[in-house]
Amino acid sequence: MPLSMIAVIVLALGAIAFAAARSKARLFKPVGTERLHSRPNYHAAHMLLWVVVPALIFVAMWSFVAPRLINQSILTSPAASELPPPGIERDAVLNEIRDLATGKLEVSFNPAAEQLAPVYRDARDHYTILGGIAAALLAYAGGGYAWTRLRREFRARNRVERAVMVVLVAASLIAIFTTFGIVISLLFESLLFFQKVSPAEFFFSLEWSPQTAMRADQVGSSGAFGAVPLFWGTIFIGAIIAMIVAIPLGLMSAIYLTQYARPRFRAWMKPLLEMLAGVPTVVYGYFAALTVAPAIRDAATWAGIPGASSESALAAGVVMGVMIIPFVSSMADDSLAAVPQAMKDGSLALGATPSETIRRVLVPAALPGVVGGVLLAVSRAIGETMIVVMAAGMAANLTLNPFATVTTVTTQIVALLTGDQEFDSAKTLAAFALGLTLLIVTLILNIIALRVVKKYREAYE
Amino acid sequence: MASHKMSARDVNVFYGEKQAIRNVSIDVDKENVTAFIGPSGCGKSTFLRTLNRMNDTVVGCRTEGRIELDGEDIYASEMDVVLLRARVGMVFQKPNPFPKSIYENIAYGPRIHGLAENKSAMDHVVETSLHRAGLWNEVKDRLQESGTALSGGQQQRLCIARAIAVDPEVILMDEPCSALDPIATAKIEELITELRGRFAIVIVTHNMQQAARVSQRTAFFHLGELVEYGATADIFTNPTQTRTQDYITGRYG
Amino acid sequence: MSDRAPGIGGDLPVTSNPSRWNSDVMQRRVARRYASERRFRRIGLFAVALSAGFLAFLLLSMVINGARGFTQTEIKLTVNFPSIAAGVTPAALSAKGGDEALSGLDLEGLAASEATAAYGENGAALLSDGAWLTLRDAIKSDPTLITRKGEMWVPASVEIDAAAKGRGDTANTRLVAQLKTNGQIKTGLNKTFFTSSDSTDPTVVGIWGAFKGTLLTMLVTALLAFPVGTLAALYLEEYAPRNRWTDLIEVSINNLAAVPSIIFGLLGLAVFLNFFHMPRSAPIVGGLTLALMTMPVIVIASRNAIKAVPPSIRDGALAMGASPVQVVFHHVLPLAMPGILTGTIIGMARALGETAPLIMIGMRAFISSPPTSFTEPATVLPVQIFLWSDEVSSGFVEKTSAAIIVLLVFLMTMNATAIYLRNHFERRW
Repeated sequence: MPLSMIAVIVLALGAIAFAAARSKARLFKPVGTERLHSRPNYHAAHMLLWVVVPALIFVAMWSFVAPRLINQSILTSPAASELPPPGIERDAVLNEIRDLATGKLEVSFNPAAEQLAPVYRDARDHYTILGGIAAALLAYAGGGYAWTRLRREFRARNRVERAVMVVLVAASLIAIFTTFGIVISLLFESLLFFQKVSPAEFFFSLEWSPQTAMRADQVGSSGAFGAVPLFWGTIFIGAIIAMIVAIPLGLMSAIYLTQYARPRFRAWMKPLLEMLAGVPTVVYGYFAALTVAPAIRDAATWAGIPGASSESALAAGVVMGVMIIPFVSSMADDSLAAVPQAMKDGSLALGATPSETIRRVLVPAALPGVVGGVLLAVSRAIGETMIVVMAAGMAANLTLNPFATVTTVTTQIVALLTGDQEFDSAKTLAAFALGLTLLIVTLILNIIALRVVKKYREAYE
Repeated sequence: MASHKMSARDVNVFYGEKQAIRNVSIDVDKENVTAFIGPSGCGKSTFLRTLNRMNDTVVGCRTEGRIELDGEDIYASEMDVVLLRARVGMVFQKPNPFPKSIYENIAYGPRIHGLAENKSAMDHVVETSLHRAGLWNEVKDRLQESGTALSGGQQQRLCIARAIAVDPEVILMDEPCSALDPIATAKIEELITELRGRFAIVIVTHNMQQAARVSQRTAFFHLGELVEYGATADIFTNPTQTRTQDYITGRYG
Repeated sequence: MSDRAPGIGGDLPVTSNPSRWNSDVMQRRVARRYASERRFRRIGLFAVALSAGFLAFLLLSMVINGARGFTQTEIKLTVNFPSIAAGVTPAALSAKGGDEALSGLDLEGLAASEATAAYGENGAALLSDGAWLTLRDAIKSDPTLITRKGEMWVPASVEIDAAAKGRGDTANTRLVAQLKTNGQIKTGLNKTFFTSSDSTDPTVVGIWGAFKGTLLTMLVTALLAFPVGTLAALYLEEYAPRNRWTDLIEVSINNLAAVPSIIFGLLGLAVFLNFFHMPRSAPIVGGLTLALMTMPVIVIASRNAIKAVPPSIRDGALAMGASPVQVVFHHVLPLAMPGILTGTIIGMARALGETAPLIMIGMRAFISSPPTSFTEPATVLPVQIFLWSDEVSSGFVEKTSAAIIVLLVFLMTMNATAIYLRNHFERRW
């Protein structure tokens, strides 16, 4: 009987308790002119909470503790003496034992596993039953306590609502936990990394070749972790090439759609352009790798440009730029819309043509908003992964040639963490240092962008 | 007898299905200040905006009838709206300086129309316009500061200077003082009086005392119709229409 | 600036030539200004057209490449099963352990030899490397087949498949034409594509495994992100006191919405896999990771929807003696629900297309059988696309594009639903 069954049983007990409490609460009659404080459903819900919540918390904790207890009893059984010492091999055998016992495997590779499977099965049943009894007792105790409070004048509604508030607060706190989780896990692994590789080397050295040797005693097992080529590749693709594509197209599209297009055209075109942002990045990556990159390479070869590669900064950058167009255009759209109509009227009334009004009054007035939008777009572009993984390449080149292959921070994170990994090697930890750098840069860009946009909005309010 | 600068005949304006102006015919004098008065929503601002075709910028707005500037039909296809608006300037209800320097605010119009050949000519235009708007002494030391940093009354005079800089023939003012305090209002009224004669001025106002103070001719609009038009003194002392009388004596408004 | 500025109301015009509006210079200038106006407008239209053109080109190239992925060429093969039966009976195959007996049969060799017998020396090359899987599945569904000869349609090799679709070299094209006249070849709907999982052979791959992985992952994501996101939004919008904690929560949510998705992958790897030791490549971990990523999106959308419910409704309910919790759950939440659902669907659509964070937690494993639980190794559609795009065999190109079409159809359906909800249920107050 798995633990999930215990949870179901607890819930069933809860349902019974709910029904019982409600039928009892229905019999409460108001005294005199005083009205009943809590309706039967609140009394019942109060009951339900007391039956279910402590028991389920216990089951959740038990599901963490029980496997360890089970392992313990396997290891202390006499047949376990033949098991390998603690480590990956022993874990493999333990997995095998588990799979054998649950029937996932029919034959085992390890004779010890065959012997220990019954031990596992016994231990599992033992601890599950133990947990089940404890959960039932908790549910009973909780229910008993709630039953003693089940009286006419008991303010069940307040209790239940307080529980609801606890749930709401907990839901909001998840955002903080996630943020802390990200920061702490990145920081922790990065600190481990910086114990092996100095921050100076990481941030300023020009050579990146993280291919640590397979065996520790091999020559050159340390690898080189100078991330400058990655930073350059990221900036080159995300902040330069992509923006050269996205800013003019996004800005001019926004201008045309807000200032010139007929409402019907705009009503169709705007969602269509927004679809560009909804296409999954893996599709862009495939498109870049399959169609754009070969075309660019062929064009470069035809034009006689040296260093043309089938994975180029240009291919990744252009496709990323296309993906970013809707971000730039929707930010520009908002900023242009925020410029008061009076500003536009003032210019038109002086005899300016619409394009003069746009270029000399609207765009300068909307510029802070547009700049904020571009910063957001850059932060989005440098954090983008799949396009560069599929189209930019792996070679850490410090080059200005857009036809050459470059690599980026995100590409390297993926490269470092896929394949066989030893979790505490410098190679794996480098990915977290790169992730931390990426996180800090994107957050700074976002904070600046939001400040700029906010200031600008205030200027017109 | 003053000569007519602009004249409108049987003008109708529609916003979609709704008719905002009905059969308005009116002449605007060259040397006088003409005031449009009437309760809010009577169409006086809408009609003002037909005079330099600013209504063209409103989606769904349609104008019928004939409006002439020096005998030329401004709604004719050969009339260039850009040049029309250079000749018929406009000042709006709320001061709307561009978010640029004071200098650039004034220089904007001359620059787009190519009215100054070089920097010193432009300096001259800026200075003259600010002088005419009575703003020169207040801003001569801070021409590079943002126009939005000025006070409300100064901003409105900046907008008037901006309109003057293109050297228009007519200046339309759409309730230019409604967002200003009494002292700033007095300055603008003084300025209007001084500008009279140089430019034909049409002012829309909600404030009857203001119309009486600054204008020589007054038109009373009600429900999209021109009820009465005549010398300001006559309109205020001896209106021929009961509706006009009711309005100026404060029965509604 | 000149000193000779005239006084207020001076008689000099501002500029030197009062009748300038009709001058030739002015006329030419106006013509030039209008030309620049038209040019600017055309540039704008061009930008819109180019952006839309990119989208059209992208979709078109996927459709053109992908349409072929939905069909598969098959070759007729008469198979003499008893020749390899070696005593295996139908009863043995349907009994327990039948799979083992089945895997003992040399179906691969049988397919090759029958092909050689039917189509000559190079006959085996006509067939896909995975052709024998068809034989296996046929025996599995009908064990009596082992006792007789059967006529089967088995998948053709990548080269023959390409030739049948008009993209092969001359030799194969001629061969296909010849087979066609004999009625030994046909190209039809590729059912395998929808029913099987990953494979090393492009002719027998399918998206079912990845699709099921996607379903399981999205289920986890939706079950976590939707309630948590909605409840957090309710708290922040309706009850949260203005203090530093609330500010911290708001800042966290806004920043999380801007964090690159790959960072969530690192979080999943470090916390769920290495700290909590949850199973690698499992839908539960993928779903958790994506839920953390989607939650801020849902919170922000839900807050906007809740904000849009006018205060008068809350005041009305409070005035009737409802408690704050009742007000929110009886009145505000139902009214805000369409907006919340719209935001949830949009957030889920984003999660559905996400690849990078799932690669980080190992969902890039080669999964040849569909997952049956939340803890088994699985992959998802976008990752499957990524994996196939890396394959060398040219047969994968059309399969990758076909999988992309399936993914895009799902995304468009979700987004269309969101737009429908927004247009039809969201009230303007």
